[in-house]
Amino acid sequence: MDAAAPRPSRLDLLLRPLHRWVWSDPERRARKLFRFADTEEDGGRDLARAAERTGDPLLRRLFLRHAEDEQRHGQLFRRRGRELFAALPGGSGAPSFEANWLSPGERGLDDLRVEDEHDGSLLAFLHLSEKAAAGRFALYRDVLGKDRVTSEVFTAVLADEAFHMSYTKKQLFRLEPRRAGQRLWMGRASRLFKAYLRLALALASVLGTVVLLLQYFLLLPLFALLAKRSARAESPGFAKARLPASLHSQY
Amino acid sequence: MHILGISAHYHDSAAALVSDGLPAFAVQEERLSRRKGDASFPLLAIEWCLESAGLAPEDLDAVVFYEKPMLKFERILTMGLRSFPRSWRSFPQAMKNALGEKLWVKGIIAGQLGVKGDKVLFTEHHQSHAAAAFIPSPARRAAILTADGVGEWATLTLGKGEKRDDGTTSIELLREIRFPHSLGMLYSTFTAYLGFPVNEGEYKVMGLASYGEPRFAAELRRILKPTQDGGFALDLDWFEFHAGARRAWSDKLVSAFGPPRSPHQPLDPGTPEGARYADIAASVQLVLEDTLVSLTQALQRETGLPDLCLGGGVALNGCANARILKESGFGNLYVPSAPGDSGCALGAALYADRIHFKRPSVECPDHPYWGPEIDPKELARLAGEDGLPCEELLDDAALFAAVAAAIAEGRTVGWLDGRAELGPRALGNRSILAAPGPAGMRDKLNRSIKYREEFRPFAPAVPLEDAARFFALPPGGERMGRFMSGVFAVRPEHRERLAAVTHVDGTARVQTVERAMAPRFWSLLQAVGARTGLPVLLNTSFNLAGEPIVTSAAEGYSTFRRSGIDWLVAGRTVVRKLAGS
Repeated sequence: MDAAAPRPSRLDLLLRPLHRWVWSDPERRARKLFRFADTEEDGGRDLARAAERTGDPLLRRLFLRHAEDEQRHGQLFRRRGRELFAALPGGSGAPSFEANWLSPGERGLDDLRVEDEHDGSLLAFLHLSEKAAAGRFALYRDVLGKDRVTSEVFTAVLADEAFHMSYTKKQLFRLEPRRAGQRLWMGRASRLFKAYLRLALALASVLGTVVLLLQYFLLLPLFALLAKRSARAESPGFAKARLPASLHSQY
Repeated sequence: MHILGISAHYHDSAAALVSDGLPAFAVQEERLSRRKGDASFPLLAIEWCLESAGLAPEDLDAVVFYEKPMLKFERILTMGLRSFPRSWRSFPQAMKNALGEKLWVKGIIAGQLGVKGDKVLFTEHHQSHAAAAFIPSPARRAAILTADGVGEWATLTLGKGEKRDDGTTSIELLREIRFPHSLGMLYSTFTAYLGFPVNEGEYKVMGLASYGEPRFAAELRRILKPTQDGGFALDLDWFEFHAGARRAWSDKLVSAFGPPRSPHQPLDPGTPEGARYADIAASVQLVLEDTLVSLTQALQRETGLPDLCLGGGVALNGCANARILKESGFGNLYVPSAPGDSGCALGAALYADRIHFKRPSVECPDHPYWGPEIDPKELARLAGEDGLPCEELLDDAALFAAVAAAIAEGRTVGWLDGRAELGPRALGNRSILAAPGPAGMRDKLNRSIKYREEFRPFAPAVPLEDAARFFALPPGGERMGRFMSGVFAVRPEHRERLAAVTHVDGTARVQTVERAMAPRFWSLLQAVGARTGLPVLLNTSFNLAGEPIVTSAAEGYSTFRRSGIDWLVAGRTVVRKLAGS
């Protein structure tokens, strides 16, 4: 069923106006396509790695085909991104807001350690990732109504995504008929946990930055003054090399 | 005595095992993890080295890290202080980076390997580079120059090394240029400015330079100024990398050179904008070469030695190396196969062996093949499972003749043989091979196999005995071609026949293949010569864009299936692609 027509999630449908706004700007559109291109190509490399490691010949062939699809999607996204970029009036080149936090699924397989997965858990992961990405791409296709060319890129990609969703599920049930359902639930739980980890890490990073910035502005000014003074005393050009220190020393 | 060397945490991690004074096993982490430029702690590489040697961690006499983490941290902190308050954005990130993992190397090594802390040693970054360049080289006494982006504080060192008759070895670094004044950072800044990824796009700048005119050289000479003591200094008004900003260059640089290239912008040196980028690349290349020539000329006069060992990432610049060889006064230039940070793992272990433990000098085998061995049976199994035509040839002569015939017919061949190379270049054991003649071959490789920019050249491989016939090698050039370390002119009368490997300026980064170093690859070249009258092959690394060079037969097979490579060879096993597959 889900292989036939990828559909956006309810949350994405609710956020449709936001997605429409995100995709309305041509420069942001180009940058998002470049990001998708990177993600697809990274995913392709992970799938090639999965093909190299699996002992199942059929799965290897499917993974290789999937890897080639991802590579081709990367090229499609990149080509369209370049066309949009070239059409910009003197493209600013400045980083722009892309709202990438909206689309965790688009990180694709980038946090996947293929070596740590066996075929069953990998297939479950792939199926869920592909399903999420396909739903999101279906939404993008729809909100890009005015940009027919970009919308068609998503349409082309979606056709492959439907196959990817389908084969991963089929192969999961072939390899592990009794545990397939459990694998899928574990995959969902793992995605949820990873989302939590991403949020927790982001929060910890913000807290760390605040603490370090406080130290920077409160504790360092005096040392900065001394460091600047010693820098002024340095003459340009060669300095005598340090005398070899003991190899036991980290200094 | 077994010593493990480790380089990690910045780019291209690696591990190397030195046993009884000789390199035994060495591999970059990316070759095992399959993540290009993998900078993580090289646990896979370490495990492979130990397993291959049949050792447990407790059998190691020492584990040597390739730089001094606290000294590096001192530099990062000091630079943050010196650029206060401009460094406020980068300071938290720099501290989080350093305090997260990079500062606790001793504990990480002891914890991961289960070795006692007193077995963990630390060389200085440029000591590791110097040792990697000098100790495995055939030179008994040599001047040493190391140059890269930055180690702890040093960015360039000059020194000398000696392997004495009493068996002792010395490496003496005489003087150094310190951060932020750095040839490597200058080149990397322009690599990023030209829209290429730092630490892997530097080759592209060198390739692009041949399309341009150095019309920005005067500006570059205002940026990189010689100092009275024969050194150099960067005018930091043009940069922001030392302040840890998000970009490496300042507005002043953009005012002088124009807007930087977006990484997403296609690059065609035939367009006005592309020509500007090529001119900038040519100018940076020229000024880098002039500076290195000037430094090495002075070093030669000072030491009076005939040999120079070059280390550090800057030593990967084959055009600069060729000019040093030609103009410095040194008769021989030795560049290891891995002069960058990955080679530091080997350098650190060798430094500890010879200098710290004062063990007697032993002549190191002069080859780059320290990585994992290929298993042809694995390829036969994979091809058999997928129903691809697979043939096990009876002897090497039949194999070489068949491959030579395929190449003569315009086929591309993935060539897996023996142990993998250490370093960024495929030197005949993990290579994609093709005919060097038709210029169309270059386009085919770029479009259907390597998926890379059209302005980048491909390298030729030629038997040592035939090299001078096709390439204008100066004295010492044959040696530099051993690890593809120099760029030399293709003789004009052969340029048309070698169109696929001749760059736009008539040069090539030639590999001279010595029979003793790579007997099977040498024999293949001979077979190609017998078949076509031209014992030259286009030799490019066996990988696709964005991927590390393949290590195993399975990785070679996966690359073969995903690209336009026609034949795949591992040992004597040959797999052919079905028509239309």
